[in-house]
Amino acid sequence: MTATRYDRRMYVVMNDRRAAAAYATVPRRRLLVGAHIALTLTGVGAWIGTVFGTGFGLLVVVAAVLLPWMVLTGMLNGSTRGLLELRGRMLDERQLIERDRVRALAHRITLWLLLAGAFGLGAYGVLTDAPLRTAVTPVLVGVLVVHWMMPLWVAGLRVQDDPADDLGDES
Amino acid sequence: MSEQVHNRLAVVRAERKVSRQALAEAVGVHYQTIGYIERGQYNPSLDLALKLAGFFGLPVEALFSLEPFQPLTDEVYGRKER
Repeated sequence: MTATRYDRRMYVVMNDRRAAAAYATVPRRRLLVGAHIALTLTGVGAWIGTVFGTGFGLLVVVAAVLLPWMVLTGMLNGSTRGLLELRGRMLDERQLIERDRVRALAHRITLWLLLAGAFGLGAYGVLTDAPLRTAVTPVLVGVLVVHWMMPLWVAGLRVQDDPADDLGDES
Repeated sequence: MSEQVHNRLAVVRAERKVSRQALAEAVGVHYQTIGYIERGQYNPSLDLALKLAGFFGLPVEALFSLEPFQPLTDEVYGRKER
């Protein structure tokens, strides 16, 4: 299948190296992923607090984390060269294999998190004698976001450093 | 489980003064993939191995082998015992 103009545009965006220094090394990428996880959990927690809580005060937190979260998401996608954002026809054979590995690993991690969530919710209900109906939806929303973001976090942690090239490649 | 495939892509690429970017564009892969192959972190498909060999005008066994490669100078001049 031939690449569309959208595919080519996205390829250029995902391979834009202007912010490459920010995710050039393993420690920097780990920091990025850690910050992204923290912002995601903060934002989702605040959103859940707003929707299922009593007031709208936490909406300020959601608004505050949204922009840095978007910037970090873009940087993580840049570090993976668009592994999860580009269509399959824009990836080469190694990238397609890597994308499958990332998705499989993320799926396995999410499965364990779901299991932990189910047990945690059950234990919460048994120990506190609280009605579970109120806790189910916030937990489901939290797990949904984690399920959505996990491939990006896994992909960001699996990226290898580019070696310097003596023939003037970008690195 | 996949077997370790040895290659001397980096040596040949440096000898021919071809950048990763140029080689990647010629064979239709991302430039990072060339680096992964050179470091032995990815074994290319037969299709890609043949394209790489074809780019350099070499038989595929000159670039890829299941056995570790001898240094090129040893193959050309032979190793002298001291």
